[in-house]
Amino acid sequence: MYRPPPKSIYQRSNYLACPSCDLIFDISSLKTGDTARCTGCNHFLTTHRKGELEHVAAFVSSAIIFLMIACSFPFMAFQANGLESTMTLPETAFILWDYKMYLLAFLIAAFIIVLPAVILISIMSVTIALLLKRKHPWLNTVARSIFTIKNWCMVEVFFIAVLVSLVKITRMATIEMGLSFWAYAIFSVLFVLTISRLDRFQYWRRIEMLNPHD
Amino acid sequence: MTDSRLTAASQGLSSCHLCLKLFNHELHQCPRCNSAAHSRKPDSMQRTLAFLVTAAILYIPANTLPIMVTEQFGQPIESTILGGIVLLIEMGSLPVAVVIFIASIMIPLGKLIAMFYLCWSVQQGSIHSTVKRTKLYRMVEFIGKWSMIDVFVVALLVALIHLNGLLVIRPGLATIAFCAVVITSILAAESFDPRLIWDQMEEENNE
Repeated sequence: MYRPPPKSIYQRSNYLACPSCDLIFDISSLKTGDTARCTGCNHFLTTHRKGELEHVAAFVSSAIIFLMIACSFPFMAFQANGLESTMTLPETAFILWDYKMYLLAFLIAAFIIVLPAVILISIMSVTIALLLKRKHPWLNTVARSIFTIKNWCMVEVFFIAVLVSLVKITRMATIEMGLSFWAYAIFSVLFVLTISRLDRFQYWRRIEMLNPHD
Repeated sequence: MTDSRLTAASQGLSSCHLCLKLFNHELHQCPRCNSAAHSRKPDSMQRTLAFLVTAAILYIPANTLPIMVTEQFGQPIESTILGGIVLLIEMGSLPVAVVIFIASIMIPLGKLIAMFYLCWSVQQGSIHSTVKRTKLYRMVEFIGKWSMIDVFVVALLVALIHLNGLLVIRPGLATIAFCAVVITSILAAESFDPRLIWDQMEEENNE
């Protein structure tokens, strides 16, 4: 037996369903600073923050600057028996290309530099458009790409890997950290802050308010 | 469990996987962000199991092939993931050995076991410990990318250490296999729909 779905109020923008267990919630009573969690499975739903967009804009623009610095200077230098070798951040991927591991080189470059750069630029464009309340035809596509590639950025994982390799080789030789190393350290913190401030639900609600469809 | 839950599916609504918008389940596209619309992720079980089996098969070469080759004075020494951990313990870097062991052995293996268990329990139509299973899924989803640590460490060492004639580190084939394990298991977690864990309860209620 088919029952027509109700012309329900749930399609308004203050309702959402828990992505984990499908329960419907009304979050219109959420006050500034409050976080909504699912009552069924305790999954995080959304946070109502003051000045969310301004925070994201600040973090994202500084993150982009630090990523550019991290890519342009020596990352680390390694000295043993009077010999020295240095590396830059992009070389982590390029060197694998030299060893004919093209796929791996491509993936590593994507996970630690390319996708983070793409996501940051996308976040910046959408956030600025939202702050200025400007409509753009590309807004939906770019905003969608943010949430599609979010899971594939491994900035913080790479930074822990850097620390692990440091511990691994400090016994073997002298290691010098370059300017890029410190820039990447700051970049990873800013990157994590940016992503954690990016509230899926609030973000899309703002985009919807900008683009009212019928 | 007698009270029926107010879920999107029970109201004839779909919740957009990308922007969380609720809309009529007959639509093929989310009216807000234009993503493809599904009430539940399509063919969730089949896709998840396919990725899981692939990851499990790739896990074998990832652990048996050398992950890196250390060439000291022209003499190549191959080491596997497990061999590298043993070497680290012998060198006295226990904390690093623990990090690598957790990231490269425990997380990938734990993920595979957890995901197989989740698929099995949904297939069995289990209605028990739904909250615990949902949390298990969220944990698997969260730790997924952390297994990449070892691949990144190898890439870094290869890029950094190339003192020709004295000490050169080359990448081994296991790096690619291991990278593929991480990617397929992330895809497995992304294809799984945690709402299937809860759907059984609605079916029980309707009967």
